[in-house]
Amino acid sequence: MYTKLVGHTDKINQQLARYGVKFGIYKGGVFEERLFPFDAVPRIIEADKWKQLERGLIQRVDALNAYLRDLYNDAEIIRDGIVPEHFAYASSGYLPQCENIVPPRGIFSHISGIDLVEGNDDEWYVLEDNLRIPSGASYPLIARNLCRRCDATTFREVPLVDNRDYGERLRRVMDNVNCGGINVVLTPGRYNAAYFEHSYLAEKAGAVLAEPSELFVDDEVLYYRDSTRNTRVGAVYRRLSDEYLDPLCFLPESLIGVPNIMTAYRAGNLAIINAPGNGAADDKGIYYFVPQMVEYYLGEKPILKNAPTYLPYYPDDLAYVMDNAERLVIKDVAEAGGYGVVFGSELSPEKLAELKALVRAEPRRFIAQEVIDFKCLPTWIGHEMVPRKADLRAFVLSGETTTVWPSGLTRYAREAGSSVVNSSQGGGFKDTWVLSR
Amino acid sequence: MRMLSYVFETTLSFSEPVSDHSFVLRCLPKSTNTQKVMESQVFTHPRIPLAEQVDGFGNRIIVGYCPEAHDAFNFYATGIAMVEPEDAGPTPAHPMYLQTTRLTMPDDALRKVAHEVRDAAAGAGVGNSPACEPDVSRETSGGGSAVATSAAVSDAAADDAAPAPDAWALAQRLSARVFAAFEYAPGSTDTTTTAAEAFAGGRGVCQDYAHVLITLCRELGIPARYVTGLMVGEGATHAWVEVHDGERWRGVDPTHNCVVDDRYLLFSTGRDFEDCPIERGMFRGNAEQTQRVSASLGDDAPAVNATKFKH
Repeated sequence: MYTKLVGHTDKINQQLARYGVKFGIYKGGVFEERLFPFDAVPRIIEADKWKQLERGLIQRVDALNAYLRDLYNDAEIIRDGIVPEHFAYASSGYLPQCENIVPPRGIFSHISGIDLVEGNDDEWYVLEDNLRIPSGASYPLIARNLCRRCDATTFREVPLVDNRDYGERLRRVMDNVNCGGINVVLTPGRYNAAYFEHSYLAEKAGAVLAEPSELFVDDEVLYYRDSTRNTRVGAVYRRLSDEYLDPLCFLPESLIGVPNIMTAYRAGNLAIINAPGNGAADDKGIYYFVPQMVEYYLGEKPILKNAPTYLPYYPDDLAYVMDNAERLVIKDVAEAGGYGVVFGSELSPEKLAELKALVRAEPRRFIAQEVIDFKCLPTWIGHEMVPRKADLRAFVLSGETTTVWPSGLTRYAREAGSSVVNSSQGGGFKDTWVLSR
Repeated sequence: MRMLSYVFETTLSFSEPVSDHSFVLRCLPKSTNTQKVMESQVFTHPRIPLAEQVDGFGNRIIVGYCPEAHDAFNFYATGIAMVEPEDAGPTPAHPMYLQTTRLTMPDDALRKVAHEVRDAAAGAGVGNSPACEPDVSRETSGGGSAVATSAAVSDAAADDAAPAPDAWALAQRLSARVFAAFEYAPGSTDTTTTAAEAFAGGRGVCQDYAHVLITLCRELGIPARYVTGLMVGEGATHAWVEVHDGERWRGVDPTHNCVVDDRYLLFSTGRDFEDCPIERGMFRGNAEQTQRVSASLGDDAPAVNATKFKH
């Protein structure tokens, strides 16, 4: 059903480049911008499969929001011994500055990016929760728009759930928590690698795109300043990470933050999307406990599975990791972006022994996972259709209710057989089609 | 019980006018298990609307914004509090006070000192309670398997989260060790100096003494936090440490190597200095900033010289 589209691959990629659809990565300490190759062969998810996935995602994000609310207030889940104290508070995403804050309507993660893979056993497995600033919704949005322009017939014939309402969904999410005033998308600036996404989403959501210097806080209220007047801001979708958000609350050396924005938030005069401190729940170490959060907070059986994960912190798990390291993925919980992820099978015996010694010495720093044998998707590379491993970032929006955007960002590995789909490792992306029947 | 009055004044002078000045002040005492605030006021010049909030560490903060150009910023705090350090009621310790921070990250030297002091105390029959180790034994139930117990905690006696009766004695020994290892030397360190750096240099001010003691306590599993406040007889702000003995927070001052008594008035607490500076600000302008601080704390109501703030 997508054969005609494939012929337009090069043309669509050229247009994406013109739009400035690219991402930035740090490599060897140097910041680089790269194009994100698009493959016109979509991931296709059937209607009934999507229903199930949707239920699982909503359940998971509701539990994660409940965890954040609990952690920063009564911390009952810690007292009840479900999540060990150390894992909760040693997480670099845990921000004590956010203690005792209940954000507007109690929502911490408004826009959640849940990364999953579909196993060869036909089950979906969650690999990672992204509750801070999950990016990438604009890629499939723009790509589908370009595809539709190249080949409108296909989009008339395929029973496809429309995904063009992402901006409208975003607006509703912001309106739901708005504390009085306009909605703003806060970008670090036009030199940021994701600037195109910031401006695109602001336009689609009908929000004002602002740079930090255009915002200020006076008497616990955030204002947007333009040449003529100051306008009160009720909700800010910030694309600026927590530590840089407010130099008077977090990193004092931050020059890109908005001084005292946290005081407007703490006073209940501003919604910050997503809430600061969310990193406490999307930590690789905390991931292990998410299925238990679902049971603890919702009293439900988790619908989505985690990849089987071991915490060397527990002696039984440590023993298992020591015996099976050569076939596990070992992740440093302190690191993000795929650099701290090591496949035991790819290490020389010496390197593996080194890693095992490190895990034994610092068990709390690591998690280990079974390598999920996940599905390949047909991918058009070099004028032929080849199988490539691919994951899916689903976007879950928490507004008045929690919903899943019927689309998502599918990322595929560049090399045959590789399971590394991170864009920073050179992979590309696909559109994600959810079928309506 | 003692009634203490305080006056605290800071003037920031700028070499050229600044504008868009946002600030957070932590110069209000908070009511704790050892002190009760009867009265407290803050004035600023330029005079602007001030809001009071409570930060994530339970401190009272004053926040404000001065858009107009000014070449000096002055704040003046005064009030009365009743201090009662001997009568501290039980309060829990938040787990954040067991975690290391950038300024309180132990290096090998600090780790070694912490363990030496603990071992010496154990020899003397003090502070060797297993519960002084991070009490991972409480954390078993949820994970489904037993917790990796370090050798020091393997003793079954570590069960049941028993309060560490010796944590307090051990903290005082650590304080004595810090006091002995340091020479009080203003100007030898700055506000960004880490505990490890200060300890290696052997010189510092109250902030460094406090950071080192906090680092040592946490290394031994004793919750410890940084305190900013005033001390009778000191003309500026002072910093010391509170440690949690299993039941309640108790103050110890490594700079004077003494237990905190009714000569101390607490403003704010945090994991380290960065969580509770008296003043933090951001402004527009390329100005050099100089600071003048004066403080007085005592039994007599200090002469309130707030006329310039009154309108």
